[in-house]
Formats: sequence, structure tokens, C-alpha cells
Amino acid sequence: MHSLLDDYAHGNALRETNARLKLIFGLGAILLCVSSPTPIAPLFVAITMSLATLMLAKIPGRVYFRLLLVPLSFALLSAAVVAFMHGSGQTLFSVQLFGFDLGIREEGANLASLLIARTFGGMCSLFFIALTTPMIEIFATLQSLRIPQSVIELSMMIYRYIFVFLDQAAMIHSAQVMRLGDAGTKNSLTSFAMLSSVLFLRSWEQGERLIVAMDSRCYDGKLDLMEQTDGAKPRAILAVAIYLAAATAIAVLTRGVQLL
Amino acid sequence: MTIILETRDLSYSYGDGTKALEGVSISLEEGKKVALVGPNGAGKSTLMLMFNGILRPSRGDVLFRGQPLRYDAASLRSIRRAVGMVFQNSDDQLFAPTVYQDVAFGPSNLGYPAEKVKRYVGFALQYVGLSGYERRPPHHLSGGEKKRVAIAGILAMEPEVMILDEPTSNLDPASSEEIMEMLDELNLGGKTLIISTHDVDLAYRWADEVILMKEGGVVRRGTGQEVFGDVELIRDARLKLPIVVDLYCELVGRGIAGGSKPPKNVLELCDLLQSRGEGRAFVGAFGKIYICNVDEADWKHIRGLIEKNPAVFKGAMGTSAKVMAEKCGISIDFTYGVIDKCILKALIGKNSLIMTSGGMVDHALQRIKDYGQESGARIEVIRHSFFCDNTEILK
Repeated sequence: MHSLLDDYAHGNALRETNARLKLIFGLGAILLCVSSPTPIAPLFVAITMSLATLMLAKIPGRVYFRLLLVPLSFALLSAAVVAFMHGSGQTLFSVQLFGFDLGIREEGANLASLLIARTFGGMCSLFFIALTTPMIEIFATLQSLRIPQSVIELSMMIYRYIFVFLDQAAMIHSAQVMRLGDAGTKNSLTSFAMLSSVLFLRSWEQGERLIVAMDSRCYDGKLDLMEQTDGAKPRAILAVAIYLAAATAIAVLTRGVQLL
Repeated sequence: MTIILETRDLSYSYGDGTKALEGVSISLEEGKKVALVGPNGAGKSTLMLMFNGILRPSRGDVLFRGQPLRYDAASLRSIRRAVGMVFQNSDDQLFAPTVYQDVAFGPSNLGYPAEKVKRYVGFALQYVGLSGYERRPPHHLSGGEKKRVAIAGILAMEPEVMILDEPTSNLDPASSEEIMEMLDELNLGGKTLIISTHDVDLAYRWADEVILMKEGGVVRRGTGQEVFGDVELIRDARLKLPIVVDLYCELVGRGIAGGSKPPKNVLELCDLLQSRGEGRAFVGAFGKIYICNVDEADWKHIRGLIEKNPAVFKGAMGTSAKVMAEKCGISIDFTYGVIDKCILKALIGKNSLIMTSGGMVDHALQRIKDYGQESGARIEVIRHSFFCDNTEILK
């Protein structure tokens, strides 16, 4: 059927690496991207994160680039808007459109490039986490961070049933397409409304069955997490520390640099 | 025999007044394999949900070991521990994000210490042949594997009775045979089993007792031969005859077969035909049946035996034998109904090897011995004990 991010999270080459370390690596890089004043550090993060995902975690390149395409297209669109709308300084480029003067100025261009770099770096870091760390280990980490148990239990069940409903939604959708439910905008909209309402009812019923299933196994408020995996290897910790330090150094050292 | 579960005049109506069950009184013996059969809407699932207190009867009682069920929290906990239920749809049952968590759910809610939970989960997963699957999420499992995890989740609570609603629906034939064989193994270990099914062939050959339900009531109880021998009754209940019974009825009609009751399985049907002198009787020596216990066997010896005797048919009974055979790269001819298949082969002069473990070794020996006494066919059974490097010959 469909291959999901989750499938890669369970089957990549960094699966056994300590989850906390991977989270620190990814989240640290994201923080750095959003706080860096210039696009250089985020670009560095984007490139290194992509390399880590492709070379270390051995995620197939095609999958990875197709994933990146989605946020990248958003980033490019919004960057274009920002570039045209913003700023002062020297005009770098201008066109005449219906008698209006549309131009990109220096400040706008800088802001747009920063925007793209930050989005790109952040997304690469986020995909690194999503593609290498199964949800269940993120739950375990959340638990060790003292997030309330009920929140974690709920998230775990939501996570579990996402896949059940995904399958059901796919099946309902095929059943609709089979009978031309997608012919024309009006039909598509009606079909989508039906799909949503059926899915809602099904999830309600599933909830009731879930209660029966839990009750018949003596539910007493416990949904244990698996025990923690092995601690991080010192070498891996060192590598992550060096990487984050290097990225921070780049951000600090290039803070004054203007691209244009 | 002790009665483990009993219902007295059990009735149940849904909120809108629809009667799902009406005056059901049955008693189930400990250690039996029971199949509930009947058309859709006969009340099978409703009855099953009453056995562990999920549904509360509108009238009548459910008794576990002679004690009427009470519906306070503590009593419900103890009945649900003793009577485990496996749902028809595994996705309803597997709600935890990993296999380990799901199997651990029951034991940890029973308040076992962490170390004990871990031990029980390990045991249950090993029993169903899924050791090493602990960290997988359920949506990465096949239908058969999901069913096994669901069974493991119940096994980890050490129930006395296991109830399975349509255990083989939505499974491919090989997976469903493996599940049924696993249930046989559990039954040999002393568990009482209750299944509901639409598969009449399955109910006929598997169950010690068949309960035929229709419109919220029990129409007939008895052995498979008694219940399915009544052609009218089966038709009225919107079921069909098991293929063996159907064939038998037609053979009787043609005057080819006789006898007072239908044969239980293919083996008995073959014997019945042969006893009437139909078909060419096999002349020559019967084949031998080797039995080896995989728990104590040396796989080099088994491979040696197979290499020496390449014509041997290989059967694996039980999960651990199958897991071992796969690990050792031995291709298996029979994965279910192994003993009968091997007897059938022996009767036409072919040798076979049964790989199995634990209590099933004695079960296989007993079954072949019983068959020999009944039919007069002297099949040589050779039990291999590779550890002591001697071979007992049993007749």
C-alpha cells in the first residue's frame, strides 16, 4: 500500500541509536536555524542534515527529495512574496506590470534568502528526526521528561489508530472512486463530506470497541512503555556535541555577513 | 469432568428491545474444544461477550466454576483474567503502539511487577512464535501475525478459558490452519477453548463439542457428528454440510458406504471406503512414522535422517517445531492435521517424520496407537531420542 514516514523510522540504519541523542541533534539544529541571523548557518545545517539522513540513516534519496519538495515549494512561494513586498535599499530587479513598478530590493532579498534557508534547514532537521526515530521512542523520551502520563497514553493510542483510520479512509476513498465519486468538483466535494462523516462515525464505534478491548484485559490505568533502549555511545554523544558546537560557531562567526 | 462455564436461562435484549439471546442454558466442560456455529445474528458473539462479563444478561446467570458471575469491579477483574477473549478484528484488540506493549497490557494491569511482566510477555511471544517482534508496531504485521499477537496478549494473563470470535476470518488458509493448530496445542496444555465460526469444516473436525445456535437460542448440542449428521437441521440454520459429511451422505445414497454415523475426517472416510472393499486395498508393508522431539533433538541428526531417506514426508506440529524447521531450512510437507496425514501416508507405504515438542509427542504416539487398535493396522512408530542416541521402537 502506501509507504509512510513511519516505515522508514522503523527500518533505517540509525534505528538503534539512542532516541534522546537523535532528538537533541535534530532539535538543536532547528533552534540554531531559527536563531541564526544569516542564511549561512541554516544552509550548513540543511546540507549536513541531508547528508546524515541519506548517508548515515540510509534513507533512499528519491524518497527524501520528494519529501523535501513539499515544504520547499511553500518556502519558495512565501519567499517570493516577501522579496517583492519588503524593504528598502538598492533595487536589484524590477518589472513593469500593468503600470505598477514591482521590484526586489536589497533588504527584501536578504530576508527572502534567510527565510528559505531557515525553512530548509529546519525541515531537513525535522525530517531527520521523523525518518530515524519511531514515535514510540519519542513517547518514551516524553515520559522521561515528566509529561503527564495521561497525555502520553492518549497520544500513543491516537498514534496507533491513525494507521487503522488511514487504511479505512483509503478504502472508503477507493470505494468512492470506483463508483465515479471523484467525477467533477461537486461530486468530489460530496464524496469528501461523506468520507469525513463516515470516518467520524467509525472512529466513534472504534472508540467503543477499544473500551471493550481494554476492559476485557482488566484495564486499570496502565499502559506500560517498553523499557528504555541502551544509552547513547560516548562517541555518538561527542559527535553530536562537536556538530552542534560547529554549527553554532558558524552562526556566530557569520552574523555580520550580508549576502548581497 | 468438571463444568467450567455454565449459563442458566440466559437472555439478553439490546436497548431497543431486540432480543439477542433467549433462554440459553448450556454447560461447558473443562478442557474441551467448543465451537459455536450458526447463521449471522444467531447471538454467538453476544453469548461470548457474556462469558467474561462484558455484557450483563437481562435475565439468567452465567456461572464460572459453579459461582454466578458478579458485576462489581473486583469480580469482573478476576473473571476477565480467567476467561480471555480474542476479538474477531485484531485491530480492535491491538491498541498499543508496539507488540511488546500490547502483550504487556494485561499483565501490567493485573499489577505484576515489571520483571514478571517482562517474563510473561517473553513467554507468550515465544509461544506464538513471534519472539523478536517486541518493538514492531501492529500496523507492520500481517493478518496472521496480528492474530498471534492478540492471542499472546491473552495468553500472558494465563486464562483458564479462551474465547475466540471467528479466529480464522480474514486469514489465508495456511495462517488459519496454523492458528487452529496453535489452539490445539493450547488445548493439550489444558486450556478450555470456545470459538465461534462460520466455517463448518473447521467446526466439524476441530471441535469436541458443537453448539448450534439460531435466533438467539441453542438448537442442538453434541459432537460434530451428531450435530452435522442432521441434514435438515443444518439447512434450516443456513449452514452447509462439512465436505466429509456431504460426501459420506452421497456415498451412502449410492450404496457405496454404510455405517451408523458420518466419518470424522478424511482418514476415517478412507478407512470406511476401504472396509467396504471399494478401491484397491494397499498390499505391502505399511510405512513407518518417525517422531522426534525438537526440544531435545540435534538438527544434524534430523537432517541426516531426511537425507538418508529422501522420500520421507515431513510434518511439523506446534509453533516451536515450525520455527525450528524454518531456522534449519527443512521444508515441511504438512503443517496442520499432521498426525492424520502421516497415518494416511503410512497406510500407502510411505514413511513420514513428525517434528513436535513437549506434550504433543505423547499425544501423537497415543493417537497413532489408538488408530492402530481401532483399525487393526499395525503402523510402526519410531521415537527418536537423539540425546541418548538410542531409538525406542514402539508398536
